[in-house]
Amino acid sequence: MLDFLGQQPLYVVLLVVLIIWLGLYFYLFRLDSRVKKLEGRKP
Amino acid sequence: MRLTLGIWMTAVVVLAILLPMVPQPQHWYEFPVVGGLGEKARIIFFHVPTAWLSFLAFVASMVYGIKYLRKRNPDDDLKSSTAAGLGFLFCFLATVTGSIWAKFSWGSFWNWDPRETSIFVLLLIYGAYFALRSAVEVEEKRASLSAVYSIIAAVTMPFFMFVMPRVLASLHPDPIINTQGKVYMNATMLVVFLSSLAGFTGLYYWIFTIQVRIRRMESLSIHHEGELKRA
Repeated sequence: MLDFLGQQPLYVVLLVVLIIWLGLYFYLFRLDSRVKKLEGRKP
Repeated sequence: MRLTLGIWMTAVVVLAILLPMVPQPQHWYEFPVVGGLGEKARIIFFHVPTAWLSFLAFVASMVYGIKYLRKRNPDDDLKSSTAAGLGFLFCFLATVTGSIWAKFSWGSFWNWDPRETSIFVLLLIYGAYFALRSAVEVEEKRASLSAVYSIIAAVTMPFFMFVMPRVLASLHPDPIINTQGKVYMNATMLVVFLSSLAGFTGLYYWIFTIQVRIRRMESLSIHHEGELKRA
């Protein structure tokens, strides 16, 4: 895997984009769970 | 705004990845080859904006901290800690993405290069900010202490982000944006880079406002529950 990435630098950039996307996704996922928790509370 | 941001960021990612990189650009749609970096130079469109956002968020955290100390409005404390949280997220992403780039450019994920050391210290500083917040239970005391801490932390930040990596010898690719602040990119590369910075900033603002709204609702809900219990 590391050898492949070493030979294909463009995939290193794609891996970086993927990691940023995953970081943002998990942050938004956490926000979504907090909204769900709020919606579950009795008025 | 949300739809525009989605289209904008999609265009940025597509252009940043797909536009060809050639030694002597002849057409508007070509990027120049950045010395010694090759295709890996494209990371600048994604890694630099995350570092920029961490800077922006930590400054925002300081500004709201100052506002809180002046007016004692709990909403400012909420915004200050939200900005610090987002700053920490983007600082962490900048560290991870930089580390991956380092593996394929320097041969190792972590080299204790001045850039790596300074971002690691920044992560520790803001990690301590959240430890401080969770350690104080009294709301007003927590807000005051964290506001003061966020100001002190933000004051140290330019030293770690801009001074230390430039004073000490670093392997970080300065040919792209060097110590003189000269940007060696052609117009196309610069436009994509600035569009990426703008898009990421919009994304930051969007997530920031969503989280502030959620935290306001949580705070209202907790107060409401407290009142019901007392009644």
